[in-house]
Amino acid sequence: MSESLAVGRAQTRPAGQAGDTAGVAALDARRKLQLGLGVIWVLDGILQFQPSMFTKSFPAMLAESAHGNPGVVAGPITWSASLIDHHVVVLNAIFATIQLALGLGIAWRPTVRLALAASIAWSLAVWWLGEGLGGILAGTASPVNGAPGPVLLYAILAVLLWPADRDPGAPSVAGRATGRRPAQAVWLVLWGSLAAFALLPASRAPGAISDMLTDGADGAPAWLAWIDTHAASALNHHGLAASIVLAVLLALVAVAVYLPAPALRAAIVLAVVLAAALWLAQGMGELFTGMATDPESGPLLALLALAFWPAVPRPAVTRKEA
Amino acid sequence: MGGPAWLTAIFAAASLAVAVYCAGRLVVARRGHRPTELDTDGAHVIMGVAMAGMLVSGLRTLPSTIWEVVFAAAAVWFGYRMLQARRGAQSSPWCSSHPLPHLVECAAMVFMFLILPAAAGAAASSVSMTMTATESRFSFLTLPLAVYLFGYVVWLGDRVTLHVPALALAAPAGDTRPAIGSGSGFVATQSYLAPRCATICKITMGITMGYMLILML
Repeated sequence: MSESLAVGRAQTRPAGQAGDTAGVAALDARRKLQLGLGVIWVLDGILQFQPSMFTKSFPAMLAESAHGNPGVVAGPITWSASLIDHHVVVLNAIFATIQLALGLGIAWRPTVRLALAASIAWSLAVWWLGEGLGGILAGTASPVNGAPGPVLLYAILAVLLWPADRDPGAPSVAGRATGRRPAQAVWLVLWGSLAAFALLPASRAPGAISDMLTDGADGAPAWLAWIDTHAASALNHHGLAASIVLAVLLALVAVAVYLPAPALRAAIVLAVVLAAALWLAQGMGELFTGMATDPESGPLLALLALAFWPAVPRPAVTRKEA
Repeated sequence: MGGPAWLTAIFAAASLAVAVYCAGRLVVARRGHRPTELDTDGAHVIMGVAMAGMLVSGLRTLPSTIWEVVFAAAAVWFGYRMLQARRGAQSSPWCSSHPLPHLVECAAMVFMFLILPAAAGAAASSVSMTMTATESRFSFLTLPLAVYLFGYVVWLGDRVTLHVPALALAAPAGDTRPAIGSGSGFVATQSYLAPRCATICKITMGITMGYMLILML
């Protein structure tokens, strides 16, 4: 990544205040995606500052994620929820500040590596202690309810957007950081697992997806509740068919990473559309309820999909000698 | 406005600090002929005072109606500046060269005062704001406004340089061009006034306003 800070260059106005870009390195595709991730972290931090997060509701919500998990997973969740319950105001303020700092750290170029590394550690901890590993071991994981856990996607994005050029010739941002094959493997495993989750009983039961849509409508604005309730009504008793269609679409997206660029672009568009649909099904992360800690998996899946967008090769520029 | 009292007090203090600092910038810029974005600093002065009043009832100064008019006027100004920029008009170092975020900020202030009058009314109590059925029709605007402001904050963060930018201090020998800003009533003879502090003010205002909007979700 072009992380250099062009300092000391003459400019008539400071960076960030003028139309010129002197003094600031240009935003390449990876930097734009990093900033997108930074925005979501800032949003998370501010959501964590919501009034309800300073009440007993927050640790109670965390404790719920222990249900159905094996004892070795559930034990630490219960312990941390109990600890937070006793010091909810202080600890929640710290959590919110950490997430806000992660967002601002990603935004500020000198700290981008530190912030991304810290975000990986933080995400994995929250994935376990806050989301119960996304319900994967509890059998409740479904793409519609945010599996494999939205916060895991933050860690994956931090790795894929890491400011390094292991494979500078890779066609996508994700491939540049980790290498083409590892990036493709990550894509295949992620979207493939989403397809598999869509076929689990938690999704394929007759009223499963319908019930999740109904849950998404709770506390949502009228227009969003209308979408979710109508979708729930249409899919009621058609859970199996809906889950099979969803699984097929997710599987198509998963394998498309090995297809030529034009087909991959089409699959990425499909992935973004699916992410948007899942986000609506999740009630836009229940952002309007006052109890959301993140925007759920939809925006993160879309951001991740864009990291795999194959760039158009630039034609070689021939320098004309004067 | 909802939220723990100490937290809203911190945000109110931050917005007031920005208001005081930006007022100081206006004075220093006037006296020292150092260029600064007069419209942005001016907007932050009034915005900081208004936001502090929304967050902490004891800091309320003017009725909501007056604030609505003030921020509507500011929004018109930044909208005019944006149109000018689109028409290719030469930018002045005394005015914001990126008026769109400030237009959105002013619009968000009008939105909070006008569409959600509970924002000011509920400030007297510590309970969360509740919206009426009419107001809830506009709640879908709250999230995009907040996300836009967070995007602006992150964009600004990306552009904060580690060291003091070398401004146009050292004009080439023999350069007889007029000083920047000489056509706007002021004569700029020195470097841009504390650019990184100005950016930090914008970031602070963006985060605080985003917090207020999130409380209204």
